[in-house]
Amino acid sequence: MARDHGGAKSGCRSLRKMKAARFMIIALLIWSLGPLAWQLYTSFCTDQALVTPFASLDQRWTLVHYQSVLNSNPPFIRYLFNSLFAGVVSTVLTLLLAIPASYSLSKLGKRSALFFKCLLIGCALFPYVLLFLALLEIARYLQLGNSLIALAIPYAALSQPLAVLLLTNAFSDLPPELEDAARVEGLSVLQRFRWVLLPLISPAIASTAILVFLFSWNEYPIALTWISDSDQLTLPVAMARIAGSSIHSVPYGPYAAATVIGSIPLIILVMVFQKPIVSGLTTGAIKG
Amino acid sequence: MPLLILLLPSLILLIAVFALPLFRYGWLSFHADSVMTGLVAIPNQGANWQRFIHDARYWQDLIQTLRFAFVSVTAEIVLGLIIALILNQPLRMRALIRSSSLIPWALPTTVMALGWRWIFNTPYGPIDRLMQSGLGQSLNALGEPSIAWITTVYADIWKTTPFVALILLAGLQTIPSDLYEAAKLEGASSWICLRRITIPLLLPYLGLALMFRLAQAFGVFDLVQVMTGGGPASSTESIALYAYWNALRFLDFGYSATIMIGSFLFLSSLILIAWLVITVARNRAAGVYAK
Repeated sequence: MARDHGGAKSGCRSLRKMKAARFMIIALLIWSLGPLAWQLYTSFCTDQALVTPFASLDQRWTLVHYQSVLNSNPPFIRYLFNSLFAGVVSTVLTLLLAIPASYSLSKLGKRSALFFKCLLIGCALFPYVLLFLALLEIARYLQLGNSLIALAIPYAALSQPLAVLLLTNAFSDLPPELEDAARVEGLSVLQRFRWVLLPLISPAIASTAILVFLFSWNEYPIALTWISDSDQLTLPVAMARIAGSSIHSVPYGPYAAATVIGSIPLIILVMVFQKPIVSGLTTGAIKG
Repeated sequence: MPLLILLLPSLILLIAVFALPLFRYGWLSFHADSVMTGLVAIPNQGANWQRFIHDARYWQDLIQTLRFAFVSVTAEIVLGLIIALILNQPLRMRALIRSSSLIPWALPTTVMALGWRWIFNTPYGPIDRLMQSGLGQSLNALGEPSIAWITTVYADIWKTTPFVALILLAGLQTIPSDLYEAAKLEGASSWICLRRITIPLLLPYLGLALMFRLAQAFGVFDLVQVMTGGGPASSTESIALYAYWNALRFLDFGYSATIMIGSFLFLSSLILIAWLVITVARNRAAGVYAK
């Protein structure tokens, strides 16, 4: 990932070019982080400061928005934990289903593997929002509403295409001699999985897990329709509820504070796991 | 045989979540199932489809959705290419820059959708303040039907361009650098290099990003629901949102299912056409190279 093929193309990069590149990068950072910075700024402003920014005020900065968000009922932290819980359960379920499936896909004949791959890509391209009504009916029928654990079922299904494609790719890259050797040594299927195969594809598993987690953490339409109990809401739905509470006067101050608190875990996640995220997204999209 | 057994759980789940709903919608679309019928499905001889064909609001929403999808995806591809070209250079703090540009993509859509509502707020948001002091006129970015949809497009571009840029960056890194060196020796300018080397070799990746993004943009829901609620005057309403209103506000499941299966058929043909166009373009590009 870190090789610079394109960069090597211009052997004679002049000072002017360097300056242009630096300018573009600053523009890029302002463009992608500016809106977040504005939310951060808003979250510390008093209501009065937000409405009259240029007037001289006795009190411009405040922590009151954070207090109101953290002391609300249920407290905002609750939603973070709900999302974390749904994310972890979905990730585990996805991997439990996808690892055996992709192992078998990597061993299948070329023709049938291609067939399944096309099927998976078709699912990946499907705008899953359109599924919410039928999924809601299923949830009502099986009484799965208002349960964070049950959310893992649709999430695992929606993550299958990406997970299976990524992991199949990783399994196919392993030399078949490895597993044969382990079999000759008398290791059973489970032992081969545990001691030979899984350790070798662990980078792909990490990429898959983090992408599935991100998806489940952020998912909105299904969580919106399955969960109505305010104790069980996931973060995206809780955020949208603030918006829905009133069309005309959204409490922007507390909301901005909520945005900041809600964004911090994800920003940390992206900073720490940048590499597996990037490699997962790119191999998932390209090899798939 | 044991291989297929390993595949089975995953496959069953996929069928239950993807295929079953489509059959259910197909069936529901020929039934009246709403508050009027006490939420019991009663066959209604294609009345849903009759209504669907003559539903001006649906067709208006479809045009809006297509407009949204085409404008935002085009902009995302152009911007994504520029960002990919920037990130492909040797940079200091490259990892940090790359993660920062990924953040918009990783945040939940609803989180920033309300943030945008504040940023584009009239008259207190920063954009409107700038307009007021610069042009002496309010923009009313979310209240004016002819502008509001562009505001939602902007928010979508902000969120998904990093994804496109990443795909294209991966594509850029597959292009061997000696191609550029050879072209430079022949005296080709950077522009020529971009047009004759980068873009043709990037075509498969561009096609991929295009297909994924078109499909996703066609199903836009979170952003519009939270940012504008479909307004003003349903000018930003997408088909997914319309289907959602029909199901959960008007409690007309039969018609909602009709909208979804109709849209699904439409989208499938759209993707098929896009795929054909891409294949033809790719073959033609390969032909140019062979000469």
